[in-house]
Order: sequence, then C-alpha cells, then structure tokens
Amino acid sequence: MRTRIAIGLAGVVLLLAAASVRAHHAFASEFDVNKPLTLRGTLTKLEWINPHSWFHVDVKDADGKVAEWMIEGGSPNAMLRLGFNLYVVPVGTEIVIEGYQAKDGTNKAVGKNLTLTDGRRMFLGSSAPGSQPDPKQR
Amino acid sequence: MAPMITKLLMVLLAAVFAAAAVEAQTPAPAASTWKVPRTPDGHPDLQGVWTNATTTPLERPRDLGAKEFFTEEEMVEVRKRAAQVTPTVERSGEVHYDFQQFGLDRSQAQIAFSRRTSMIVGPEGRVPPLTPEAQKRAAERGEALKGHEFDGPETRPIGERCLVLPNEGPPMMPAGYNSYLQFIQSPGHVSILQEMIHDMRVIPITDRPHLPANVRRWLGDSRGRWEGDTLVVDTTNFTDKTNFRGSRGNLHVVERFTRLDAETMRYEFTVDDATTWTKPWSAEMLFKKEDVDRIFEYACHEGNYGMGNTLKGARAGEKTEDASRTRK
Repeated sequence: MRTRIAIGLAGVVLLLAAASVRAHHAFASEFDVNKPLTLRGTLTKLEWINPHSWFHVDVKDADGKVAEWMIEGGSPNAMLRLGFNLYVVPVGTEIVIEGYQAKDGTNKAVGKNLTLTDGRRMFLGSSAPGSQPDPKQR
Repeated sequence: MAPMITKLLMVLLAAVFAAAAVEAQTPAPAASTWKVPRTPDGHPDLQGVWTNATTTPLERPRDLGAKEFFTEEEMVEVRKRAAQVTPTVERSGEVHYDFQQFGLDRSQAQIAFSRRTSMIVGPEGRVPPLTPEAQKRAAERGEALKGHEFDGPETRPIGERCLVLPNEGPPMMPAGYNSYLQFIQSPGHVSILQEMIHDMRVIPITDRPHLPANVRRWLGDSRGRWEGDTLVVDTTNFTDKTNFRGSRGNLHVVERFTRLDAETMRYEFTVDDATTWTKPWSAEMLFKKEDVDRIFEYACHEGNYGMGNTLKGARAGEKTEDASRTRK
C-alpha cells in the first residue's frame, strides 16, 4: 500500500515539475542550450513587462570595451509576489547572470539565474534585500 | 520512459519514502455557522480574488487505478512535498530558468489543495479516447504545419502570440504560475478576470439562447443561471483557433461554481464534443480565497519580445543551414 501511495505521489510531483517550467513560449526556440554564458555587468535599465521582464546590462570585456546585453527574466507579476520590485536592484547595481544566448546570435540571453556580485541571490533567500515572499501570499 | 525521467522518478520516490513521518494535520472543519454571503440581489457572493493553483493533475496517474481520493494521511505527504522547493532539473535541449528564481517554484504560491487524485472525476480519471475523426483532424493539422512552424507569427501557438493561453478556457485551468482569478458581480452579470493572460469573461445571467452558430468567440459564448446557490455557466460557439485537448469549435462546456466555506469555492465542469471524444467527461477542482483585493495586470502582447527573438532565431538557423549546404 505504502509503495502504491509513494508511486502515486511521485507521479503527481513529476507533473508539477513539468508544469513549473512552462513559460509562455518554448525557451528552446528562442535561446540556444549550446551557448551557455556567464555575464558580469552593470544594470542600466529594467523593463518591468509581461510576459517576461528584461534586464539591460552593460558588460565590459577584458579590454574595457562595453557591450550592451538584454537578459530575459520572469514575469514581473510572479517576481512582485516574491517581494522583488524595481527598487530592490537599482540601476547601477553590479550583477552576475548565468544563462543562455539567443539563437539569433545577438547580445540577448535568458537569465537562468541572477545574483549580486557578492554571491547573494536576487529573488530567494534571506540575504537579498526585500526578497522574502509576502507571508500573506503563502 | 526517458532515462532522465526514470532517474527523477527514483529520486522522488526516495524522497517520498524518506518523508514518511506522519504529522497530525487535519484541517479544522469549516464552522457550521458559516452562511454563504450574498449580493444585494440575493445571489451567492463569489466576489474576490481566488487561486486555482493545485497539486492535482487533470488525469489520474495510472498506478492509482480507480482510487479517487487521497486519505488525510496521504494528504500530509502531498502538502509536505508542495512546500518543498522545486528542484531545478537540467534537461538536454531545454533552456530554462532556475525554478527557485522568478516565481516559477510551486512552494512560493498558495495552493488550493484537494484530496482528489485527479481533477477528472469517476473511476477512470482519464480523458476519454479521441474519436477517429478527431485523430485524423489532429494529424492533418500537424502535417499542414510541418516545416512551417517558424514561418511567421501566424504559425506560432496562440499562447506564444499572447492571444489566449490554454488555461483560460473555459474550462478554466491552473496557469502554472500567476494562477489567480478575480470575480466581480453586478446585477445580471458575473465577470471573471484571469490574470493569465488578461481576459475578462463577462457572463450574462440570462435565459436567452446562445448566439447564432455563425458567431464565434475566442472564449466562447457563455450563458449563466443560478441553480440554488450554484452558478451554472453554459458555453458554446468557440472558434476553431482554441484547442482544449483536441476540441475546438464544437466544444460545449458546462461549469458549476459553488462556495463551500469562507475560503473555498468548488469548480466543476463537464465538457462534451461528439466530434472529439467518445463520451462527455467531468472534472472538479477547488479555488482558494486570496487575502488580497486585486490581481496584477498581465499585459502580454506589448512586451512580447519573445516572438521576435524566436523568429529571428529561426532565420539565423536557416542561414547557417543554407551556408553549410552551399559548402557541400
């Protein structure tokens, strides 16, 4: 009996996991899994728009040359519910992005995760300012 | 079953066994003194913000057979698992976010738990088989689109185009994230605003017949009526552009909304379409009241850079293919 329950629950959780990754578009048709990248730069603008937020970042290369990058983030609605807003990471903040470059080869990428330069995560964990979920939303 | 999925299943199974300790967690029964609140015209007041986020799948996992409900003991496990942070699974070919960021993690949302093992009610708990006609139709559509998936916005899925998302229905399904519905009532109408992705269903309470068959609407033509304290909504006249598990223009949906207590609403639906399924089928889920007075706007089309990026990506891919063909 126990086994049956466990299998059933695992099935449920699997379905949930599958549902969790669903975005409004297929990531794989927009971004290239074979072009992973890590960018370190200065936030110049945050577009607070659905279906996805866009982080604009100036990235300096080894020669000091600056390239402008656009990084896709999650739905602002979902991020607001995590306690994140435009004031948590003001323009000028240094951030690190791990993600994947756009298939068209331009300076665009999806941000798998975004952290501050000292390693603090921007959306989860007690360390990031204002990143605690609103308890009323639990 | 793909090896990765098998591996994940094993990990999850181990986690379920590990979390075998049973806590006393029987929710307090709703106060028997609760009475359904009413609007000035005497109908049940359904107004407010509700979530339909759930742990219940539409179809029952096959290994559960005819078991329709989890026991309270099993629900402890379900709740415990839902509270855990969703593990980020890297899958080949899939490019995605860290679940723990961007609000895609289930543990960050309120969930309307149900003891049901599947939304679909009855011993089978599965969507009935597609009719041969529906299978042929789906195959023909697939064939016509083959090789043209990235021709332009017109051949992309309607959700990607920010027209309507599949969760909007009716029947209304959980969106995966931002699963919130706001109900607003006025004399003669019940309106439902779905956060994902922006549409307001304006349902007239009327005994007028449906629109003529030649008038088709994205969300169908809804007619509401009260049966006791239950709102019943009958919807037909869909377009052929939406797709609810294979059913398009001929979809007929009957929804039933019943408040159960201060923070729970039961949502039932029955769908039929003789051109798609071998028989009608019914499902049920719960909505949980949110302690907020509004939901956020989700203007989808305006910021949909994804569409441009997807098509540009396809064009860049074609150039690379052309170049490699020329080299050969």
